[in-house]
Amino acid sequence: MEKLLDYTKYKLKPKEEIVELIKDKDNLFVFVCGKCYKEFASVIPEDCKELYPILKENGKNVVECETIDFLCNRHHLDIRKSGFQDGLKKSDNVLVLSCGVGIQTVANFLEDKPVYAVADTIPQEGQHGIALYNNKCAGCATCFLTATQGICPITNCTKELVNGPCGGAKNGKCEVSKDKDCGWEKINQRLKVTEFNFWELPVQFHKYNRVNFKISNKYNTAVREKRSRNFYGGVYPFENKEYTSEKPIQQFPEPETVEIPLSQHTGAVCESLVKVGDVVKVGQKIGDSKSFISAPVHSSVSGKVTAIETKPHPVIPSGVTTITIKADGKNEYHESVKANKEYEKLSKDNLIDIIRDKGIVGLGGAQFPTYVKFKSPKPIDTLILNGCECEPYVTADDRLMIEHPEEIVGGMKILMKILGLQKGYIAIETNKPQAIEAVKKTINNLNLTSAIEIAELPTKYPQGSERMLIKKVTGKDVPLGGLPLDVGVVVNNVGTSFAVYNAVVNGLPLIKRIVTVTGEKIKNKLNLEVKIGTPVSEILDYCGADLKDGDYVLKMGGPMMGLLQKSLEVPVIKGTTSLLVTKKPDIKLSSERSCIKCGRCVDVCPMELYPLYYWYYKNSKSQNVKAELDNTGLDILNSKSKHGATNCIECGCCEYICSSKLPLIDNIKEMKKEAREVKS
Amino acid sequence: MLITEIKPKEEILAFLKEKKSIFVIQCYGCKEVVYPFDEIQKFLQENSINYVLQDYLCNHEYSKEYINKCKEQIENAEMLLIFSCGVGVQSFSEMLYNNTELKIKGKKVYAGCDTLYVNGFQGLTATEPNCAQCRKCHLNYTCAICPITSCSKSLLNGQCGGVKNGKCEVDKEMDCGWEKIFKKSEKMKDKNCVLDEKIHLHDFKIIP
Ligand code: SF4
Ligand code: SF4
Ligand code: SF4
Ligand code: SF4
Ligand code: SF4
Repeated sequence: MEKLLDYTKYKLKPKEEIVELIKDKDNLFVFVCGKCYKEFASVIPEDCKELYPILKENGKNVVECETIDFLCNRHHLDIRKSGFQDGLKKSDNVLVLSCGVGIQTVANFLEDKPVYAVADTIPQEGQHGIALYNNKCAGCATCFLTATQGICPITNCTKELVNGPCGGAKNGKCEVSKDKDCGWEKINQRLKVTEFNFWELPVQFHKYNRVNFKISNKYNTAVREKRSRNFYGGVYPFENKEYTSEKPIQQFPEPETVEIPLSQHTGAVCESLVKVGDVVKVGQKIGDSKSFISAPVHSSVSGKVTAIETKPHPVIPSGVTTITIKADGKNEYHESVKANKEYEKLSKDNLIDIIRDKGIVGLGGAQFPTYVKFKSPKPIDTLILNGCECEPYVTADDRLMIEHPEEIVGGMKILMKILGLQKGYIAIETNKPQAIEAVKKTINNLNLTSAIEIAELPTKYPQGSERMLIKKVTGKDVPLGGLPLDVGVVVNNVGTSFAVYNAVVNGLPLIKRIVTVTGEKIKNKLNLEVKIGTPVSEILDYCGADLKDGDYVLKMGGPMMGLLQKSLEVPVIKGTTSLLVTKKPDIKLSSERSCIKCGRCVDVCPMELYPLYYWYYKNSKSQNVKAELDNTGLDILNSKSKHGATNCIECGCCEYICSSKLPLIDNIKEMKKEAREVKS
Repeated sequence: MLITEIKPKEEILAFLKEKKSIFVIQCYGCKEVVYPFDEIQKFLQENSINYVLQDYLCNHEYSKEYINKCKEQIENAEMLLIFSCGVGVQSFSEMLYNNTELKIKGKKVYAGCDTLYVNGFQGLTATEPNCAQCRKCHLNYTCAICPITSCSKSLLNGQCGGVKNGKCEVDKEMDCGWEKIFKKSEKMKDKNCVLDEKIHLHDFKIIP
């Protein structure tokens, strides 16, 4: 791989200057920036190692030295404040070792405490892009690259000429510096190759007035605003929801056989209640467990059990015991499935029992047994229905809200009754105006405006993640390693509420769900109502998936957090929000890539973590990487630490944005495993 | 991270005139920062131009692989139109012309965007504080407000005569940097106040 250039932005001031500066100062607090845009080679920059002895030699007391990566991102000073504010209070003077942007940021942060720069910023001609190579741009706002066929005259010509070479070039070298190639010589060579007739172009003046601080300031402010909207970090990936957002939910044809895994939930696997050869009916319970955290499974067809054996499973790689049922086509319902007209009279405990008995789990993808949330040992004061559906492509919840708002709101009423709440929220992102409209109308019609409030949230991924949602709707922070119930909140997906309604009112167990079938490789992109246990291959066939050339990636769920499926021989389970079939990534990159400390992952992580450190930890060749990292105070292997890898919600934002295209999520998963081992 | 704007439409259309086959690349690596994705999209749609999407053109390894992959399309195209910052266009065209396997004779590259100067040369993303990389940090004497970037004239010896109501005479919407420095030094009392210091000359020759 090509050598990356080092765009180091600062260096320690000369020793004499520092000695002079600190002469009359003591009790020093030092902020150090980890330096950006260079290959990630060590946690503590060399300059810091040089600064320390100077301070020691001069008999100075260093109260604390705080290394903060990307010091110029003010947010990181704020979130790490609690860690260093005592030290800061005890100190009299603050030194900052970073580039000018970092120093100024610290100065703004401290407001009226003096800060002293101990670094000089190294000038970099022009600006590089996100990656570190030697093409630069001066941001002249009048790009001349067309005329010069891709070689920048502003950064390559010493005099920034835009109308051709000056008279001074000799042997292809610039007259200003013999070490410099003449940019225009290069351009001329290029023009010969491209056969571009430069002379035909009208003269383009260099419009200096187009570079205006107001314009770039406007952009800068907009970027920060966008990034901190609702919560810190997050990204705005291509949504591609328009593929299916206007497609009404369609019934998928009756499957001939269904394969129902005995685990479709977080928690204990069920035991089979049937034997091979048994005849079962629609809605009959065929698997259950005595465990607290578990949910029973039911047959989605009427027919005969033909096999009970371990089969591939979309979530559990080693496979799960699965009941195969051959449908008889009669679709006869089991006697347990009957409408309950008197459901409004049911007690709280009755309702929770029904939710358990009918196998309801979280339908947003997590598959957590719903009834468990309602047996919270802690008091609950808020219920939020999650209709954000922030994953790109997926429109299952969107359509459900548009077409079945009554059931969703009805389910919500039931859930509120269980919790004894007078008030609840339905959170919907603003990219679903139809859904907002439909739910609003229902709430009005049912006279529930004071009990149920719609929280319209600006669209940003991962707004639908529990933690971000709770923060936005209630202003509460779920403690690290904690659950929503720790702050008195229960979050349920809108699909779950729909299923609760069907279970309580119609006696229907969770035997079908809405699945969005979408992606570039699917011809008929649809929202389908599918019976649980329907083979994925059948659905893909039905929708005209083009899989022959093998150039496809199948994910169950959305592109950000969906689970990669290696086999088509898996069934739809309760958590299948979507089947997404896209083309394989265009390009395979070598595994030799390195992190260039561009800081974009830190900028987008909604959990405010430092994904680059996890990468560094697992990939550094350095021997004492752990000690090095411990020194930063980040404590990334500790689950109690704010920056510990175990806090990662695997939302995928960091990997999405990484300019070096590093497989950060796999790396974090390994890291989490290691962190868990450390704990035990 | 660079800020880009789409070039005036007439300018781009003038290039496209009479061209039959165009290969268009949109670099969306900076879409999450500042990149006029929607405007470009609209422009391309209005003129029914097909395009390919690709992020991080500035990542050489990536660009190289990409060129290999799109070899045929590139060879068949009369011209390449690239929407990205100046770095992206330069990187891509450099890779292109260094690629010996490709028939690139007569292949023209067009830039579809103008790149703007960004405040600071920030590590993360756009920030308000700005730094001109002057190599002689003056912040110690100016309450950590940069006189080079927050004064239109980059003065080092205090305010010029033109300031009015705290605004710069060069641009009425810009705060006078020196006014800010004085205000802050008052607030901090004489803690690291420029007024007690001798003037430091700006040594331009240390900028290579
Ligand atoms: S730009 Fe930011 S991250 Fe880079 S060295 Fe300066 S303060 Fe540190
Ligand atoms: S011509 Fe201007 S915008 Fe284009 S690469 Fe050069 S400095 Fe950047
Ligand atoms: S996957 Fe984890 S580390 Fe990456 S952005 Fe999401 S929460 Fe942060
Ligand atoms: S985004 Fe990738 S390259 Fe940039 S700092 Fe994070 S891990 Fe490193
Ligand atoms: S080439 Fe320019 S626009 Fe594209 S990712 Fe790199 S810096 Fe951003």
